[in-house]
Amino acid sequence: MKIKRLLIANRGEIAVRIIKSAKALGIETVVIKTSAEPSAIYVREADIVHDDTDDVSEIPVFLDIERLIEIALEHEVDAVHPGYGFLAENAYFAQKCMDNRLMFIGPSPDAIYKLGNKTIARQIALRNKVPMATGSRGTIRSTDEAIKVAERIGYPVIVKAASGGGGRGMRIAWNEEELPQMLRLAQNEAEKAFNDPNVFIEKYIANPKHIEFQILGDTKGDVIHLGERECSIQRKHQKLLEEAPSSALSPELREEMGEVAVRLAKAVRYHSAGTVEFLLDSNGEYYFMEMNTRIQVEHPVTELITGVDLIEKQIRIAAGEPLGLTQDDIKLNGWAIECRINAEDVQAGFAPSPGMIEKLSFPDMDFVRVDSGIEEGSAIASNFDSMIAKLIVSGENRDEAIANCRKALDKVWVKGIKTTIPFFKLLMKHPVFVGGDFTTGFIENDLEQYHEAKAEEEQVAAWFATKLFVEEKTADSDATVDFEQGKKMDPWLLNKRLNQF
Amino acid sequence: MAMAKTLLQKINKLYAVNAKKKKYSFSLPLEDRIKVDKKEFDIKLKEDDKLGTYILWKNRKYPVEVVFKRQNKYEILLNGVSYTFTIETPTSMKRLRFISRKKGSSDKEVIKAPMPGKIIDVLVQEDAEIRKGEPILILEAMKMQNEIQSTVAGKITAVHVKANDSVMKDEILIEIKKK
Amino acid sequence: MDTNGRYFKAFEKRVEALKGQFNSDRAKRQHAKGKLTAWERIELLFDADTFEEVDAFVTPEAQQFSFGTVEKSYGDGVIVGHGKVDNRLVFCYAQDFTIMGGSLGVVHARKIAKIQEMALKMGAPIIGLIDSGGARIQEGIASLAGYATIFHNNIHASGIIPQISVIMGPAAGGAVYSPALTDFVFMTNHTSYMFVTGPNVVREVLNEDVTSDELGGAEVHARKSGVAQMIFEDEENTILGLKKFLSYIPSNNVDNPPYVESNVATPDINERLRDIVPDDPNKPYDVKDVIELLVDKNSFYEISEQFAPNIVVGFARLKGKTIGIVANQPKVLAGTLDINSAVKGARFIRFCDAFNIPILTLEDVPGFLPGLDQEHFGIIRHGAKLLYAYNEATVAKITVILRKSYGGAYIVMNSKNLGGDFNFAWPTAEIAVMGPDGAVAVLYRKELEKSEDPDAMKKELVRTYREEVANPFVADEKGYIDEVIDPAITRMKIVSAFEALQNKWVKAPARKHGNIPL
Repeated sequence: MKIKRLLIANRGEIAVRIIKSAKALGIETVVIKTSAEPSAIYVREADIVHDDTDDVSEIPVFLDIERLIEIALEHEVDAVHPGYGFLAENAYFAQKCMDNRLMFIGPSPDAIYKLGNKTIARQIALRNKVPMATGSRGTIRSTDEAIKVAERIGYPVIVKAASGGGGRGMRIAWNEEELPQMLRLAQNEAEKAFNDPNVFIEKYIANPKHIEFQILGDTKGDVIHLGERECSIQRKHQKLLEEAPSSALSPELREEMGEVAVRLAKAVRYHSAGTVEFLLDSNGEYYFMEMNTRIQVEHPVTELITGVDLIEKQIRIAAGEPLGLTQDDIKLNGWAIECRINAEDVQAGFAPSPGMIEKLSFPDMDFVRVDSGIEEGSAIASNFDSMIAKLIVSGENRDEAIANCRKALDKVWVKGIKTTIPFFKLLMKHPVFVGGDFTTGFIENDLEQYHEAKAEEEQVAAWFATKLFVEEKTADSDATVDFEQGKKMDPWLLNKRLNQF
Repeated sequence: MAMAKTLLQKINKLYAVNAKKKKYSFSLPLEDRIKVDKKEFDIKLKEDDKLGTYILWKNRKYPVEVVFKRQNKYEILLNGVSYTFTIETPTSMKRLRFISRKKGSSDKEVIKAPMPGKIIDVLVQEDAEIRKGEPILILEAMKMQNEIQSTVAGKITAVHVKANDSVMKDEILIEIKKK
Repeated sequence: MDTNGRYFKAFEKRVEALKGQFNSDRAKRQHAKGKLTAWERIELLFDADTFEEVDAFVTPEAQQFSFGTVEKSYGDGVIVGHGKVDNRLVFCYAQDFTIMGGSLGVVHARKIAKIQEMALKMGAPIIGLIDSGGARIQEGIASLAGYATIFHNNIHASGIIPQISVIMGPAAGGAVYSPALTDFVFMTNHTSYMFVTGPNVVREVLNEDVTSDELGGAEVHARKSGVAQMIFEDEENTILGLKKFLSYIPSNNVDNPPYVESNVATPDINERLRDIVPDDPNKPYDVKDVIELLVDKNSFYEISEQFAPNIVVGFARLKGKTIGIVANQPKVLAGTLDINSAVKGARFIRFCDAFNIPILTLEDVPGFLPGLDQEHFGIIRHGAKLLYAYNEATVAKITVILRKSYGGAYIVMNSKNLGGDFNFAWPTAEIAVMGPDGAVAVLYRKELEKSEDPDAMKKELVRTYREEVANPFVADEKGYIDEVIDPAITRMKIVSAFEALQNKWVKAPARKHGNIPL
């Protein structure tokens, strides 16, 4: 089977990223132009553009399975790449693609379904002796049941959406009083975000590290792992910075966890790229959290230290090619850090900060890779995610990567919008981060403020504000208010006005 | 409006006061120099097509822009960090001190909406005792549910919103009497 | 005259005594409250050396009762006079809180009334700088009579000369009604307040503990009651804001507004206007972004910014000439009209009409705000005010429909048949009796119930409705709007339209006055 033409059912930086690998493979790409961002980079870069700007329906096209299939058939593509988010982990979509003789670039619908449903995934993990936090056996049906389960496993507990992901639909309850409310909130959010109010309960592991393993499997049943990513820098379960490898893993632990990840993948005959997420506590115990059956936002850090193009592999695997790699081929070289440059106001607790990007440029340095689907003049709309770019920096070792990251951050030029850059600048100098010994609670527990503030720069800003004030007052006072001009009236009008009174 | 000019001519100083009441004073007419640790440095406001408006200071370029302006209040984004100042004359500076003295002893804390959005759930009732950092309501903005937490420990004295209300930025949500 | 002689000496002595009255002690007392003195306020307001005081030497009425004492002072606690603001004649009275708390005695009131009458005779604006404890108890009912005269003069001059009240200290009891009768009220935050009954009475009668600021501070009146149109953080900014405000308004109802040339050019064609209104009809945007691009750069002066923010009103300039702007604000309550916004809009329109300021309406209104509250508090009555004000206004009126324009709200917002001189629409406009969802639900309720796939059917019907009914081209072809225009050229269009309307005159019907549904 050969792929000649590929539909990208996604937008933004991941669409651009897929186009890049597809081009290298000599595959034509089809993308969908929407009215929300008709001049986006991914539209320009693709070979074939499907114009969907006339669409007025309420569901965005990237979530509309029927329409995506129609578009794929209309353009006679061989395969569909879902990217991440949207329908990337929708088993029904994968099945629909197959039903229409379209290759779905990702695992089988069966694997997506089993791993996507966290209660089923837990059972599979249990059967395969994957270490896990204790929790409810299945979906929680009532508040009473929740309280019983929580009592059995002990507080604190975390209520999670069964179909969840990306940190949404999760609530922590520290005691019995809080549980009913948190249960309600998690269900409510899960219903909204995933159209599935089912939740389950797990022991909450306080302040762990978030470690995930990248795996790759082919359709013949070979599965390998490409080492771990450290994603503990997160806020409210939203990842902000990822690095590879993790300073917390010894080679032995890496091997052990990698094997567990591979075992789990094999249990569902997994193919394509996937990620097995673990929590690692301070005693070095690790617990399986979930498996993501798609390419991850943070995949570039793995690519940089392994030299493997993960998107290319995904495409090749979908076309039926063998992995072409054994576990021994995978060597981790150097260190890579990814900063998610988001349109967020870190000084207002990472509140979304939509707007128009007036200026945007990234440094041209050989240790910097930028994955972005946004450019100068683009608007960060409130209906898509807030990511502007991923700044991925590498170095020989962690210290060098951090030093390089600092240099790169200093050279990013953004205007018109508030971003997470001041946060990363702070992070790169923070002893806890630099020391490498941080957990998912880092931002909430160790940080007083979320941005790097320099007293001198504040003074410069004060000067600027004062200058604006002076300029405005001077402009006001220089403006001449001309009362005479108003008095010059057409005799017709003046006459009428005077005669009225 | 000739009088505004005389306002600036009559006074020899302006103060930029930040949210924490720290003040930076500048002599008038305003010079393109600022003093840091008793040393003076040139500061220049420039603009070009590639970078937009920027400040050249100590041989470095800083992106700078105005995020918000209202009367004498300015929010400046410099190098990605936002700073808010009010620009005060010597007279209004005195007044500011008077007002902060008058209000100084207030034990009332007001929780305002950090962004426009819709209230999903109010987690507290009037007269409830709450800890610092305790979630008090859920605000949905940009399809994300944001937990609004109490900034102080105390007792809720007023709840101004209910579930499904739409709120504007800075709208008062809840009032707390500090402990 | 011999300057060493008896006559001159006597004269000089009085002048010195008056100067002495405004000694640094009194100034200090005022400054300690974070306020400026009456003279400092006057100096800030008027062009240098142009203010002439009137009745500086009058003294209070001889005391009739033995209850309390009346301080003997020159001027009786108020400075009245005239001067130039931006080289134009303006009358002013400034109450002096340092003299008997600025309380209103008989002579004090007589002075204010005198300057009001002068302003009216001269056809010049009058400004009251108010800082007064209220009626002077020692002078009894005579001081109340003084208020009545002031109110009478306010009403008498209403619509003939602009009257502006600037509250810079307390204004309590009956005193609040003079500002309420004037065209605009400015307040200074934290140091000024207005209420009919003060916190003490509220405490005694209702047993509610409130501070002056909570009861009638600037924030309250700007946000909740709508009594104050402009509030500022300090007195200098209040007076600078007032001066800027004056640059938009004419001296009287025969005059035209002043002309102020902008020192920065504003492009007549601006393609950014095309990008502001989102294609998604349910997505909000900030109508002030549209205003900023249409009018002369930095010339928009918003009125009542915090009260009923679902409608935006204010003055601006087009090629140097003042216009009044009334715009729905889709960012707040989706731009719907409610009681407060209708009243806010109506009052602004009536000011513009009285003082020859043309009106530009920017429309994006899905309808009136539904709800029990609105109906019970009389949205019918209050909405009618806006309708009445628009139709009654004889100044040039132009409407640009940006997006939604539905039902009764369409008619109210200066529609063609209500007397709009020029009505334009952007291609994004939706003009119809109701929104697509509502229309489909009403007309196809039964069909939708029977349908196997009601969602798909509804979607299709909405699409048809938009194509065939709710679009500006239909209205254009039938003449209910004058032209569908490219947003980019809106400024050019309205400039030329206002120019064409420059000499518009409509004879008012001969009647005592209309009966606006108050």
